[in-house]
Amino acid sequence: MSRRAATGSPAHFLSNIGAVAYKEASAMRHDRAFIAAVFLQPVMTLLLFGLALSNKPANVPWAVLDQSQTSASRRFVEAVQSTGYFLAPQAIASYDAGRALLKRGHAVAVVIIPPEFRRAMARDRAEVQTLLDGTDPVTAARVGGYISLVGATFDVTRDAPSAIPLAPLELRQGFLFNPRLRDREFFLAALAGILLTNLCLSATSLGIVGERESGTYEHMLSSPTTPIEIVLGKLTPYVAISFAVLLLAVVSAGLCFDVWPRGSWLALVLVTLPFVLGSLSIGVFVSTVSRTSAQAVFISVFFILPSFVLSGSMIPFQLMPPGIREIGYLLPLRWYQVASRRIIERGAGFSDVLIPFLAMWVFFGIMLLLIRWLMKPRLA
Amino acid sequence: MNGQRVLTLMRREARATLRDPFTVGMLVAVPLAALLVFGFTISADVKGLVLGIHDASQTPSSRRLLADIEANGQFKPRRFADRSAIERALVGGQISAAVIIPPSFDRALRDAPGTAAAEVQVLYDGAETTTAGNAEAFLRGMIGASIASLTARGGAPQPGAAPPRGVAVVSRVLFNPTLDGTPYMVAGTFGFVLTFLTTLITAVSIVNERLQGTFEQLQVTPATSLEIFLGKVLPLGGVFAVDVGLMVLAAGVIMGAWPNGSIPFFIAVSSFYVLTSLALGLVISATSSSPAEAVQKTVLTSIPLVQLSGFAFPIRNMPLPVQWVAEIFPATHYIRVSRAIYLRGEGPLELLPELAMLLVFGLLLMGVALRSMEARA
Repeated sequence: MSRRAATGSPAHFLSNIGAVAYKEASAMRHDRAFIAAVFLQPVMTLLLFGLALSNKPANVPWAVLDQSQTSASRRFVEAVQSTGYFLAPQAIASYDAGRALLKRGHAVAVVIIPPEFRRAMARDRAEVQTLLDGTDPVTAARVGGYISLVGATFDVTRDAPSAIPLAPLELRQGFLFNPRLRDREFFLAALAGILLTNLCLSATSLGIVGERESGTYEHMLSSPTTPIEIVLGKLTPYVAISFAVLLLAVVSAGLCFDVWPRGSWLALVLVTLPFVLGSLSIGVFVSTVSRTSAQAVFISVFFILPSFVLSGSMIPFQLMPPGIREIGYLLPLRWYQVASRRIIERGAGFSDVLIPFLAMWVFFGIMLLLIRWLMKPRLA
Repeated sequence: MNGQRVLTLMRREARATLRDPFTVGMLVAVPLAALLVFGFTISADVKGLVLGIHDASQTPSSRRLLADIEANGQFKPRRFADRSAIERALVGGQISAAVIIPPSFDRALRDAPGTAAAEVQVLYDGAETTTAGNAEAFLRGMIGASIASLTARGGAPQPGAAPPRGVAVVSRVLFNPTLDGTPYMVAGTFGFVLTFLTTLITAVSIVNERLQGTFEQLQVTPATSLEIFLGKVLPLGGVFAVDVGLMVLAAGVIMGAWPNGSIPFFIAVSSFYVLTSLALGLVISATSSSPAEAVQKTVLTSIPLVQLSGFAFPIRNMPLPVQWVAEIFPATHYIRVSRAIYLRGEGPLELLPELAMLLVFGLLLMGVALRSMEARA
């Protein structure tokens, strides 16, 4: 068979890809470290996301300087305590003691109830002061909000019958999709995206540079396969593994933490394909530009970690400053986590994730062209 | 132990590290990128969040409430004609929260106290938990205050003459009054970089040396394992100490986050912590047969180390058993110290317990690293 015939027709294109895929899959089967990583990482990440990490304040240490020492002031302290976010309050004797606790990080908030607290209630001027440790701004803002809310809903008429009753307002609020506002749901909805980024990049970034180091890449080039067939063939087994990891991530999050996709499973499977291909192509790209396999892993690791943050998988991207927020749109993980949150948490169907779906295909197309262009000179 | 031999080994190691442009590039680029990425991404505010609004009441009081929300300038308000449009926008993630004023709002406000309460509905996109939590802390207080001024004595809107309802809480934020997330994350980023990058570079460079046989060549020289260990660790530690200085400068100049405490003290503590990470890198390199394996092992150990260390998520929010686990990570203690120096300006005396923990962990890990080198010899 002539070389021209072997590279020409679509049938040969596919069978060449198949041959490379078979070779890649059998090499992978013997890589114990790789297989261990594929199975260890999901378990570890699942436990971290499901059990450990949370932005919701809990066990908040706080202190009270109660200069009023009345039943009203004690009721206020109890009302703060009963929100459930706080530890038992530390009683302090002076303002400076409160500041010292904050400075040492032993308290996040110090509530100061002034001596005239009870009398001021009767005149509708009741006020408490809160000192917050602003070093961790997310916690400080939340804790401050919780205490303000206790104040706003505090029934002053029980201690001061002459005071004006609370406004007859009912603020009915609800958290859609996640009524108890658990961070677990937020993280687990992005679990597949995080695992697949890790898997696709760390696996393929070694692929081509590793073959080049061991000389097997030249073997393949001398065979009647084109570079793009080699790339696609090398990617095929990873696509299969990726779908297995997707299934593992979704089912284990469902079984362990009861976070099942509320939307269409089909849509989830459909958007995963361009995402996996896009992430794999980044790995191949890294592999073509690195000179040694050590360099390739370095580059991919330091691409993976910021992309977890910038994509909004770990931290909501809506809160990032403009400029930084937009950088994330260059990452396939941004589009994928947007799509998977819509499907898993908000119960969306395929039509709701069409834009992310197309964006990831465009990304993959561009990467493929780039890789083809980069690999050409080595062939000539 | 022979001082001259250690010095020679150190010179060799420093030259070998700095000769490779790729390693030097990583040493500069990774800390910078980490500072920029992490320093700007965490935020307590709600600025720019899109707030869906549906006013079914269309009365002066409902318009005043909405005008109050819009005038605040934190949210980007967007009007919707009906409730189902709001729900669709929440599913699509186009809005982060929504305020719905039912038709009965004005009537209920004007009714005598004790009858039906005026109702306002607030919906949050709970899928983005942090965003929803921030929005809640903000919106509830704001709506409460606005309604209070609307229902001033007698029920009729009386601008200006609004007495506060309930108990007014006057908050003051110490140490970081603008609730800027940058210093907090910058101080944590040191923990991330010094835990991860140092371990990785050490592990990979030593595995590479093993593969090339240069490490075995060192071991057959008269140098003892302790000398080789010091000859490796001290120059790498020195390189990373320079890196710490670079990061302090970059964070200060680019992001305006200078430590409140003493800079030499911070660099001294960080340099010691680097040695701990280097030791971990040595242990990993002793058990890996290829650079790729070393990287995978580093990633597997460092990710939980960094995640559980309080870098992005406060440890006190974790369940108690996880908190105990977090306490046995050196990274946890280093990040605590780094934040104490950066944000609260604490000195060595106040930090004594944490420093002691770092010292114990550091010596322990270095001991293990030394043993692992001997075992391979």
